[in-house]
Amino acid sequence: MDFTFSKEQKLLRQSIRDFLTRECESTLVREMEEDERGYTPELWRGMADLGWMGLIFPERYGGTEGDFLDLAVMMEEMGRACLPGPFFSTVVLGGLTILEAGNESQLSEFLPKIAGGDMIFTLALNEPAATRYNPPLITAQATAEQDNYIIDGIKLFVPDANVADYMICVARTGGEPDSREGITLFLVDAKSPGVKSTLLKTVARDKQCEVILDRVKVPGRNILGELNKGWTYIEKILQKAAVAKCAEMIGAAQKVLELTTAYAKKREQFGQIIGSFQAVQHHCANMLIDVDGGKWITYKVAWMLSEGIPCNREVAVAKAWVSEAYKRVVSLGHEIVGGVGYMVDHDMPLYSRRAKAAEFAFGDANFHRGVVAQELGL
Amino acid sequence: MDFGYTEEEERFRERLNKFLDKELTEEIARQNWEDKGVGPEAREFSRKLAAKGFLGMTWPKEYGGKGLPPTYDFILLDELGKRWGAHVPLDIGYTMVGHTILRRGSEEMKQEFLPKIISGDIEFCLGYTEPDAGSDLASMQMSAVEEGDYYVINGQKTFNTECHYAEYHWLAARTDTNPDIPNYRGISLFIVDIDSPGITVEPLWTMSGERTNEVFYDNVRVPKKRMVGEKNKGFYYMMEALGSERNQVFVPARLYPILNDLINYAKETQYKGRPLAEDPIVRDKLAQAAIGLDVARVLAERSRWMESNELPMTYEPEVTKVVVSELEQRLVDTGMEILGLFGQLEEDSKWAPLRGRIEWYYLHSFMTTIGAGTSEIGRNIIAQRGLGLPRA
Repeated sequence: MDFTFSKEQKLLRQSIRDFLTRECESTLVREMEEDERGYTPELWRGMADLGWMGLIFPERYGGTEGDFLDLAVMMEEMGRACLPGPFFSTVVLGGLTILEAGNESQLSEFLPKIAGGDMIFTLALNEPAATRYNPPLITAQATAEQDNYIIDGIKLFVPDANVADYMICVARTGGEPDSREGITLFLVDAKSPGVKSTLLKTVARDKQCEVILDRVKVPGRNILGELNKGWTYIEKILQKAAVAKCAEMIGAAQKVLELTTAYAKKREQFGQIIGSFQAVQHHCANMLIDVDGGKWITYKVAWMLSEGIPCNREVAVAKAWVSEAYKRVVSLGHEIVGGVGYMVDHDMPLYSRRAKAAEFAFGDANFHRGVVAQELGL
Repeated sequence: MDFGYTEEEERFRERLNKFLDKELTEEIARQNWEDKGVGPEAREFSRKLAAKGFLGMTWPKEYGGKGLPPTYDFILLDELGKRWGAHVPLDIGYTMVGHTILRRGSEEMKQEFLPKIISGDIEFCLGYTEPDAGSDLASMQMSAVEEGDYYVINGQKTFNTECHYAEYHWLAARTDTNPDIPNYRGISLFIVDIDSPGITVEPLWTMSGERTNEVFYDNVRVPKKRMVGEKNKGFYYMMEALGSERNQVFVPARLYPILNDLINYAKETQYKGRPLAEDPIVRDKLAQAAIGLDVARVLAERSRWMESNELPMTYEPEVTKVVVSELEQRLVDTGMEILGLFGQLEEDSKWAPLRGRIEWYYLHSFMTTIGAGTSEIGRNIIAQRGLGLPRA
């Protein structure tokens, strides 16, 4: 066993933290919440120049061959900084899906552009009928027409579709609406006629969109992976996305803990530092327990993914637990920081609003407990 | 990072499992778990465990050990725990006291006690708590006064479990009564023969049927060479031992048998012609328990890893303690909810499901967040040592 990060991972973490401390202050995060695009090209370029977008891709596609644990370190730091912009959509949802399912020509066409920061991707998965998170519930229809497919449907909660160059659209080419068979992935140029993305107003002011696909014509060669076998890729990608999201959440939770503890050590009431009161100490202890539990279960499953060890149960355990732990951490943080933390220009709301978005992303605790129950043989 | 075990460690686990499959019975496991008194079968099992080389892997060679890192003892505790929540039969000596003797005892003391601990032959009972010194342990009043080559000890201890079958009392007593120094600077540790003249052990019975004890000292004479380490350093020794004790006593693996029993029950029990396992509430509750356990396990492994690598542990083992003990309460409460009306049936009652084990665990679980330090003291420690918050 070894419960430490490698020297390279520590350096990676430090360089990300240094860069984001400098380039992504919370004032920028708040500005980007109001911004149509949701990120600045300068920040995006800076990240690309540091090689962040290529971290987990093979060298021959412009990457640096990092493993999933390296990505977890990066996501943690991004979560800590509440980094705005389409990194997750592009690298995790786009890049990893292409890496998983793409043929050689797709890999060499798209991955270098992603790694270079020259192309923004996203994944169009959820639909209005999925009133509870249920990824195989796909009704968007892709119909073959000569060498093309015509896609019709509505996709919801598509992150960063407003700025994406391409989206991977999950559509049905066969089977029943809820079936895992008959799902196919399509690489859709976001500027294709018939694609309309509209920003949704969300609690985290992140850029989640409604995407309407109205007779969108996609060339047959843009099928990603095997026809009708899209679920096999999506299942894996959603696991990786869930773990990456856990890493983002624990990075943020760590920051909330630090912010709260600093406040508790400084704030005086009744002539004493409030951090000396047992009621406050116990809240803080509970936050630390949750942050530690979240970190280690996330690192463990990230390690399993890196090593290729089967981890269906562990992924679900991590997402179920971290989703709720982070929620508890922000609510205790708010309790301790009190009135000032409730003010719109304080950093606390950046975290508490994002905690809600992250909780729902890729399945909330209820959903993942369902998966755990199955894994227990129930 | 690496969350796996080495091949060598896995081979040890395999060999151990073969032995346990053959030698460990539920009765032996429960004699320790339920503090009913370690009987001849458990003593015999303890000696066999040692004879086969499963005890002492991690202890220094000069005292009969094999000099390997603590990981092997943790594997032993995990594999025992997976079987009816078993523990090393003579666990106070092996998992707690022995380590302090090794760190702080004189060479003579090490030679006398360590080989017998490693061979599974002797047991200790902890003598810390007093009627007026619980969470505020440093306020203990039991007095030890020098008289020639002896200390003469007087006073009362309470909740000293294992004293009715252990050979030795691991006693903390006051050796400096100067009111001008902090009370924790006047405590020393002693190893006392439990059958010394002047010691009376009286049973106290817990609500879940375990036996613990009150222990009375009336002019008990203890040779000076039985003082552990330096005079007035006892409280420091107790505190420095705490982390490792947490790591060895709060073992998440011991809770998996309960979860597995409940999973099997849910699969095999019918309600309206369908297995309970199909009930969404039952599924959700069991999943919640499993998630809590998996998280507790990785937290425990983190602080064990720190111990194995001799890294300074501050708050980490306390997290293990708080998390594992509270998890046990939630787990058995979940169990009771799933069993419903039948959950109240005791072990030997007609109609008792899962042999009444959940009912026993339910009663037992009230103790877990009190014994060995309350959850509240635990959270003070976590906040103060883990986050640097000031003492009131």
